[in-house]
Amino acid sequence: MPVNEYKLPDVGEGLTEAEVVTWKVKVGDTIKVNDIVVEIETAKSLVELPSPYAGTISALLVEEGSTVAVGTPIIAVSSGGSEGASLPAAPDAAVGAGAGAATAEPGEAKDEQMPTLVGYGPRTAGTKRRARKGGATPPSQAGELAQEQLQGAFTPGTEPDEVEEADEPAVPAASVRPVTETETHQSGQGKVLAKPPVRKLAKDLGVDLTTLTPSGPDGAVTRADVELASAGDEASVVEPSSPVEPVETERVVEPVETTARTAGARETREPIKGVRKMMAQAMVDSAFTAPHVTEWVTVDVTKTMRYVDRLKAHREFRDMKVSPLLVVAKAICLAARRTPEINATWDDQAQEVVFKSYVNLGIAAATPRGLVVPNVKDADQLSLRELGTSINELTATAREGRTQPDQMSGGTFTITNVGVFGVDAGTPIINPGESAILCFGAVRKQPWVHKGKIRPRDLTTLALSFDHRLVDGAKGSRFLADVAAILEDPSSAMLY
Amino acid sequence: MPRITLAKGLNAGLRAAMEADPKVLIMGEDVGKLGGVFRITDGLQKDFGEDRVVDTPLAESGILGTAIGLAMRGYRPVCEIQFDGFVYPAYDQIVSQVAKIHFRSQGRIRMPMVIRIPFGGGIGAVEHHSESPEAQFAHTAGLKVVACSNPIDGYWMIQQAIESDDPIVFFEPKRQYHADKAELDETVQPEPLFTSRVVREGDDLTLLSYGPMVKTCLQSAEAAAGEGHSIEVIDLRTLSPLDMDPVHASVRKTGRAVVAHEATVNLGMGSEVAARITEECFYALEAPVLRVGGFDTPYPPSRIEEDYLPDLDRVLDAVDRSLAY
Amino acid sequence: MSENARHPSNGDFGPDLGEVFGPSHADGGPELVQLLTPEGERVEHPDFTLDLGDDEDGAIRGFYRDMVLTRRIDTEATALQRHGELGIWAQLLGQEAAQIGSGRALRPQDFVFPTYREHGVAYCRDVDPLRLLGLFRGVDQGGWDPNEGNFGLYTIVIGAQTLHAVGYAMGMQRDGVVGTGDPDRDAAVVAYFGDGASSQGDVNESFIFAASYNAPVVFFCQNNQWAISEPIERQSRIPLYQRALGFGFPGVRVDGNDVLACYAVTQAALRRAREGSGPTFVEAYTYRMGAHTTTDDPTRYRLSSDLEHWKLKDPIARLKAYLTRNGVADEDFFAGVEEEAEKLGEHLREGCKALPEPSPLSIFDQVYVDQTPELAAQKVGFAAYLDSFEGAH
Repeated sequence: MPVNEYKLPDVGEGLTEAEVVTWKVKVGDTIKVNDIVVEIETAKSLVELPSPYAGTISALLVEEGSTVAVGTPIIAVSSGGSEGASLPAAPDAAVGAGAGAATAEPGEAKDEQMPTLVGYGPRTAGTKRRARKGGATPPSQAGELAQEQLQGAFTPGTEPDEVEEADEPAVPAASVRPVTETETHQSGQGKVLAKPPVRKLAKDLGVDLTTLTPSGPDGAVTRADVELASAGDEASVVEPSSPVEPVETERVVEPVETTARTAGARETREPIKGVRKMMAQAMVDSAFTAPHVTEWVTVDVTKTMRYVDRLKAHREFRDMKVSPLLVVAKAICLAARRTPEINATWDDQAQEVVFKSYVNLGIAAATPRGLVVPNVKDADQLSLRELGTSINELTATAREGRTQPDQMSGGTFTITNVGVFGVDAGTPIINPGESAILCFGAVRKQPWVHKGKIRPRDLTTLALSFDHRLVDGAKGSRFLADVAAILEDPSSAMLY
Repeated sequence: MPRITLAKGLNAGLRAAMEADPKVLIMGEDVGKLGGVFRITDGLQKDFGEDRVVDTPLAESGILGTAIGLAMRGYRPVCEIQFDGFVYPAYDQIVSQVAKIHFRSQGRIRMPMVIRIPFGGGIGAVEHHSESPEAQFAHTAGLKVVACSNPIDGYWMIQQAIESDDPIVFFEPKRQYHADKAELDETVQPEPLFTSRVVREGDDLTLLSYGPMVKTCLQSAEAAAGEGHSIEVIDLRTLSPLDMDPVHASVRKTGRAVVAHEATVNLGMGSEVAARITEECFYALEAPVLRVGGFDTPYPPSRIEEDYLPDLDRVLDAVDRSLAY
Repeated sequence: MSENARHPSNGDFGPDLGEVFGPSHADGGPELVQLLTPEGERVEHPDFTLDLGDDEDGAIRGFYRDMVLTRRIDTEATALQRHGELGIWAQLLGQEAAQIGSGRALRPQDFVFPTYREHGVAYCRDVDPLRLLGLFRGVDQGGWDPNEGNFGLYTIVIGAQTLHAVGYAMGMQRDGVVGTGDPDRDAAVVAYFGDGASSQGDVNESFIFAASYNAPVVFFCQNNQWAISEPIERQSRIPLYQRALGFGFPGVRVDGNDVLACYAVTQAALRRAREGSGPTFVEAYTYRMGAHTTTDDPTRYRLSSDLEHWKLKDPIARLKAYLTRNGVADEDFFAGVEEEAEKLGEHLREGCKALPEPSPLSIFDQVYVDQTPELAAQKVGFAAYLDSFEGAH
């Protein structure tokens, strides 16, 4: 005893509702297919509806005189037996504004034949987007996005920042010569790729696009590239990588020079944009993607400080600056051999860990334009002298605000030197795309147990933050311990 | 080798097509005895007979409608519309029937038809004889649209169009019919029909056109060279489907593009070309894609048509604007 | 200005045609060709003889069956629309005789260009009625192969197909299948259209072309008196069949509800065409008993009294009367036809719901013979888009 319901069809190319005028049958009547069961009135005309089903009328679901939406069941016909499931009459179906949607069907309906509305009449347009596979937003160029952030985060912006004084004798601020300007629309320059707003910016700032190394998608020059190239006319740039000298010399960070603010205003607002915005984004991405764990170790670096003195006197190093940072850098390259995870990358999108056979060692530098992290390429392949000169060059370039985008990309490990500021340690945030960062603190004379006695020794703190998805506590500790061991006794580098 | 005009090239191409396939028919007003008002079909009825070169009653819709029936019966009709402005009575048969029959029948019925339309101005004619309606047909799914610009393309493209099993609206620049001559080497194989072609190389800017304005663009490029600008000129040749690969390659090289046509700028072919270039070559663009074309007025009386039609100066002004970015 | 107003003029332009031939709901005029009266009596006509071959009775019984089944297709499809299975249906109720009569006069090699209402002719050409339903259901725009039954696809643009018909006939001329004298080879085209269509430019142009080239085409106009809500008087000030003379070929008006006359006249016109004598205009004078389509409401513009008047002329009733009265068919025959109709109804109901839905991606492949790279790319893109949603497979 299946019961079939006949739903009100769209009889006239786009009708959404109709009024039931007259029932031509009553409950209990036996009908054949196509027998007229009801007369309805639409916006266009009076129409007689023939039944799609044969059988016995088991229920008239709509009262004469009421208007129902297309798709509403109007009559139930039970085929086969007269006793069919008795259906309660549908509640007076209110006028439905939406077409096509069927209202709740009363009663059971086995073997339900659904007269399909063959797509006529207005479809109810949804107001929500349909769910996509994979849950995520439509495919974005994730890689490019990340790269953009990476570059942008560590690119000097247009916001003047607090100026830090150097602890070593300040290097006279190099007056940056503006890049040779050429017309950006000269003949044959069509090979540079850049979005129109970027081209305009370059033109306004007087930057020649062809001299830039593009860091954007499809090899396009980005706004950040242009801004960076245009930077470099600031005074008193910081020497970023020298540690705090032994405590004899008072190291005090000079009072902060702030830019002129509106006299008398209690609050001022600066829009979040440019470098600040990008750095913030990168920090957020890194901090909230990679589970950060930070481990400390206090190290007696007396032997390193003496080693540095000896290097300074060495013929090979006489004409260049040498600092403990160089030894730290070297130690990292060596220790990375034993714990390659520290130099690898967690590629979540590809679900792969990328091990790198090279170390591109980044040195975080604070410049007037903001935080810059240029890296020494293949630092592990360089001799001590080469490593030293590379670090010095990077520093000098950063000081002048001329760090190129490609110098900032591709890093595998970063050192951040907070000793400059007289700070011991911290919980650094990993540079996006890397798995660990080492915070190198101030070197101070402090009491230490040395050969059983309390002696003043040169001490420093190393703080290593690492990505615990990739580097577990054991590995992180081992790496840190290895670095510390080299700093404690540089001759142990021979063991690698 | 013979030097031929566009009219002669088309005539020779039609003859070759008629010889190659007995199912090819030519039909239109005055195409038979008179040989066509532009003499494009000169001599063909004499050689191929009245059944194959058909003078029709004066009814464009009738020409197209009966051509459809002939196509259904297995023939390959080449319809001539006497002037661009007279295609409109046939417009319904073209867009409602010719364009849709293959689709409607799910591929069971083919429309291997060519609709030849002399188009463009500059011949000092009265109203309705100087129109450029190509965008309206290019915008119609189910049709293919091409435009020749020179005698050699005319000779080859008409044959290729007749060989195609799809309906093709074939635009011929009427002011070029009896103008420049070119040498025809029948041994040189032509490019495929639906391809665009670089007709002059350059580095500073890509100038795109088709039909009657290709010549204007070449002349513009020549003048620009004298000013120190190296302009690459591309003859689009096919308007639907567009062949954008050479265009994109060119714009990536030059960084600038200008599209020129006689038709009004508003919603003309230039709009579509500009949109595609912008989408594909965004990072390469030094300047927005500019369009040069007719003003948004009906075609004017012939005494001022030379002011209306984009000429060398208007084209080079656009080039200058582009270079200034 | 009312239809009967006259302007005084200084010249005599001949008879007032409107007065001579009267309004449309009269009996069709004195020149109406009829071989079977509404009461079912056989009558003769001086110009047209019924030639049904050796088994005339069998052939006439066949006409009856054809008309009943055609009417069943029509009523079933109408009901299916009311069930929501079809979006729309164009009803031919009342026009069965015009379509079966003309349809059965066709030879296999003839070609038909229908409008969108020739379901009876489709039936004669062995087109499965389910194929017709597909169009009205929206699963395709014409689901049969025109070259299989020599029956063209339905054309929605009013009158456009008459030009196609003439072109096709011109093709037949070039193929050498006209006027050879071989009845199995000689072919012709029938172009169907309605009274409303006769106002369309294309239809008039088709008359011009057909006359100019002496094309082998029969212009079969079913004048069912209505173009949606507009009566024939709005389309023409002269009986339609008389227009033909103006274009240069003969025209004849036949009783469109008389299947015997429709057969005889169409047969004669087809013979004329096949032998190379050119076009003929056949006006089948009939009545659209139903609505223009299922979305139409005729009660808004015509009188039920008109309907009653034409019910008395029903094509099937008059033939049944003839068959019964003259013992040409018995109860078994009629019962058999009814049963066949029932089965056909069921076949349509079941088959309609089972018609395969078109795939959204199929449209890209049907535009051109030679696919363009652009369309191919669009198809790929669209496929990826469809696939990107949850629940897609």
